[in-house]
Amino acid sequence: MARSGVRLLAPPFRRTLFVRLAAALLFACASPAAAQVDFSGQWAPVYHEDNAERIPGPELADYTGLPLNDAARLQADSWDADRISVVSSYQCRPHSSDYGMRGLGNLRVWTELDEKQQLVAFRTYMPAWGSERTIWMDGRAHPPEHAEHTFQGFSTGVWEGNMLTITTTHQKTNYYRRNGVPASDRRTVVEHWTRHGEFLTVITVVTDPVFLTEPLVRSQNWFNDVGQALPAFTCEYATEVPGAQKVPNHLPGANPYLTEFADWYGLELAATRGGAETMYPEYRLKMGAPHSKPPDRCQRYCACSGGFFCDVNPPRPAR
Amino acid sequence: MSARGRLVVAAAWLCAASSLLAQGPPGAPPGPPRPPRAVAPVDLTGYWVSVIAEDWRWRMVTPLKGDSASIPVTPEARKVIDAWDPAKDEAAGVQCKAYGAAGLLRLPGRVHITWQDDTTLKLETDAGTQTRLFRFGATPPPGEKPSWQGHSVANWERPPQTPGAPPTLPIFATRIGTRGRALEVTTTHLRPGYLRKNGIPYGEKVSLTEYFDYYKEPNGDEWFTVTTIVRDPQYLIGPFITSSDFKKEPDGSKWRPTPCTAF
Repeated sequence: MARSGVRLLAPPFRRTLFVRLAAALLFACASPAAAQVDFSGQWAPVYHEDNAERIPGPELADYTGLPLNDAARLQADSWDADRISVVSSYQCRPHSSDYGMRGLGNLRVWTELDEKQQLVAFRTYMPAWGSERTIWMDGRAHPPEHAEHTFQGFSTGVWEGNMLTITTTHQKTNYYRRNGVPASDRRTVVEHWTRHGEFLTVITVVTDPVFLTEPLVRSQNWFNDVGQALPAFTCEYATEVPGAQKVPNHLPGANPYLTEFADWYGLELAATRGGAETMYPEYRLKMGAPHSKPPDRCQRYCACSGGFFCDVNPPRPAR
Repeated sequence: MSARGRLVVAAAWLCAASSLLAQGPPGAPPGPPRPPRAVAPVDLTGYWVSVIAEDWRWRMVTPLKGDSASIPVTPEARKVIDAWDPAKDEAAGVQCKAYGAAGLLRLPGRVHITWQDDTTLKLETDAGTQTRLFRFGATPPPGEKPSWQGHSVANWERPPQTPGAPPTLPIFATRIGTRGRALEVTTTHLRPGYLRKNGIPYGEKVSLTEYFDYYKEPNGDEWFTVTTIVRDPQYLIGPFITSSDFKKEPDGSKWRPTPCTAF
């Protein structure tokens, strides 16, 4: 009686099988790992920071926490959300790869391997605007500056221990916040991906010589969600404001809504205008009084903590 | 065993040995285990400042009463949130409730990290003048009383492994994730406190897991980001996950210790 399946094989084939098995084992050991960490899988975003900004959307003129310069403020102050309805190129405008990691970020990651099972690239898909992205891991160089710019840009990655560090250039203009705060096409984005068990943290460091006075550093989190399936995305252009003849905007000094945010949340107006100085702890020492008397309690987006079910004005507690 | 069988077994063991060796520090000489300070894969010591690019209006100012945005709180927590009264907290001598370990690193301020000894990393904050001790290889002693900073157990992050998985021989596979650089800290024995200054509560059963990741930017700036996972069966419907970013400073010239305040 044969003691194993191998005994059932004829001797010449058995000898070949043993040699091949040993060779395969040695090859597997001799080959460097295809990746230091495998980020492949389905990742669900965690919105436990800035939820009200990232899901229902930011308040007008909320520039807090952004190291903006005056040019960025001027452009952001001119923003009118009707622009999305009237200007067709804004209707289906995708998130760029850096904002996409901050915004509506359900994420799928997979690997591209060559015939030697070596990692060539990570690829990502986000259903928001059907964004697909490639992060090249094969050592290729970035294209010259005059090459095409896209919403996802051109990304290359290197390992620093278990951390994947990605550099992205060649993105189109986009935004740092969905209330008109602009991001230029000259920005460079460095990302650091780290995986801790079932959690993924992506740190984004944006350097933008056009609109930022210092790098903007933020970090986002996901959890591994094996039951997640991502849909395709469709977006159709439509005339939403018949007869519109101009691009909705506010001319400099003519935007009447720039103080609403400070008033709703009891903030100093200067702080809501952003700027690097406002992002450091010592700014609290020089922060002035609220722009107007603060409400007794929170009245807008007070309990947003999940998906889209976020009331602007939640019911008041019984008194 | 035949010669061919021995060949396969030898190849398998070679594979296993190389995989295991890859998990130790590069170039580590044989001998007794070296202390955590000596094998630190990154240097987290120094003065660091929190740069508030996220949650600005919940961190740089005390948020309005009732504002629990972004935090997955339970209905029971909602009652505590609606009853928040900072004057009462001051009067009761619990003005440090927002400075406990679960909320401390979300406050604007500076941290100073040093090695207290070869197995203990000390993290001090100027906001609230608090001290946390990250003890490598330590477990909380029986009967340890809860405190604002609790008991923290640290380790340099280990390679990933499926929980509960049986040991396997790495045939036809190598191990990845063996070059960890993060500091992993687990904290328990915390006194109930606040996740934010406006009274978003955590209870006595709270536990905290943190991962400190160090990185350096092309302009030379050094940073760490701490990913914080708070679990509280009483006041949170699930884990509360944030990541806070700190930039290294050249010295302690901006270090400004201040006492806790409930307002």
